[in-house]
Amino acid sequence: MISCKKATYLVSKKEEKKLSWIERWQLRAHLAMCSLCRKFEMQSGFIGRNAKHLHEHLHATLSPEAKEKIKAVLKNQ
Amino acid sequence: MPENKLKPDQWINAYGDALYSYTLARINDTGIAEDLVQETFLSAWKARDSYKGEASEKSWLFTICKNKIIDHYRKKARDIVQPMAETSATDQFFDSEEHWTVEDKPTDWAMDYASKMDNKEFYKILNGCKKKLQEIQQAVFSMKYMEDLDAAEICKALGITSSNYWVLIHRAKLQLRTCLEKNWINLK
Repeated sequence: MISCKKATYLVSKKEEKKLSWIERWQLRAHLAMCSLCRKFEMQSGFIGRNAKHLHEHLHATLSPEAKEKIKAVLKNQ
Repeated sequence: MPENKLKPDQWINAYGDALYSYTLARINDTGIAEDLVQETFLSAWKARDSYKGEASEKSWLFTICKNKIIDHYRKKARDIVQPMAETSATDQFFDSEEHWTVEDKPTDWAMDYASKMDNKEFYKILNGCKKKLQEIQQAVFSMKYMEDLDAAEICKALGITSSNYWVLIHRAKLQLRTCLEKNWINLK
């Protein structure tokens, strides 16, 4: 039986479909027994799927000075 | 088919903030993010004759910006890639038997994991947690989960081995998960 440390390592590899058959088997056996690592797997997937939307929620704005500076740079081209 | 046209005089007002948010979500430094946005517009301006109008002006600019960000990681990689200490960083989460410690074991989150998260608070905390990662972990995390690059492309850009890559992803995930759980009260 692999450890939780190893199982959580394999979870990310699984997300990229990079598990060897033996790793797949080891992970499946571990997850069948371990509810904590099953939670980790779901939360890990959740973080990965939603991270790409981060910038849509940041609402950062360039300062007026920064915008003027960029406009000036473009004008000088 | 309607052809897309560039309107460079409107770029900064129309896309400046969106490109800046996009960059800042991936590169935490406001000064560097500003520089990369400026470089994006500059490169776009120089390449304006090669714009074929197939993509919208907006997605064309975002593609240029994305390449600037990846270039930035590539150039920085030499400074931020540190020799890997196999122990320490992940070991805080696990005991001597490599099972979860009581403090760091995952608890249930009061949400549907399959749903798309739309909560502003969540992203604020995610951003704060991401900033706490080591720079190299942030680079790997952004390239993988925000830019959708595959492992081989990321390893090549950063000059790391695939086993380094998996260790970095593993650590980043463990730290983000714990940080989210500790800081986001609505989870419980």
